[in-house]
Amino acid sequence: MDPLSVQQLATELEVEMMADMYNRMTTACHRKCVPPHYREAELSKGESVCLDRCVSKYLDIQERMGKMLTEFSMQDEEPMKRVQQSSGPA
Amino acid sequence: MSKAVLGKVLPNDGGTTERRVRWDRNPGQLRDFLLVYNRMTELCFQRCVPSLHHRALDAEEEACLHSCAGKLIHSNHRLMAAYVQLMPALVQRRIADYEASSAVPGVTAEQPRVSSSGS
Repeated sequence: MDPLSVQQLATELEVEMMADMYNRMTTACHRKCVPPHYREAELSKGESVCLDRCVSKYLDIQERMGKMLTEFSMQDEEPMKRVQQSSGPA
Repeated sequence: MSKAVLGKVLPNDGGTTERRVRWDRNPGQLRDFLLVYNRMTELCFQRCVPSLHHRALDAEEEACLHSCAGKLIHSNHRLMAAYVQLMPALVQRRIADYEASSAVPGVTAEQPRVSSSGS
């Protein structure tokens, strides 16, 4: 693959993954912050504050996960190489 | 997200850097990797953040997240190793079964249907 299509692929993938992350975040935060009582349409103060904090925490966790993922994956490099070699080319 | 993860995994040096997996030759694997990343974030958030009383993560939550990430990654690796070990035998058995069933006379899919009425 030439460098240009790699960059294009990366951009498309980034957009797709951002959308996926956003969907997961909204589902998780809604589940945590909005109890299914539905007495009124407006958000209460507590629910609003909870949602703000939820987004902030989720994005913070996402950043940490990214760092830990690369850190742990580096550690398991040798066994993974063996696994990929035995499974053949993807 | 992307800068922290994609920046580390995509080569931008004309292909001279050694990477564990060449993402430019295995774009499907990059997609899977990023999906795992998103799933991991969601799961660890659900399990390690019980309440949203504060905006910042406390020490307990941080420790939980670290353990969660480690456990998920290690279990993912272990699962993959087990799968790769067991799958070839399963595939072989399926191929053998298929070949055995297609070798039996009267069960072959290629057998022409004989019409009694003629044409």
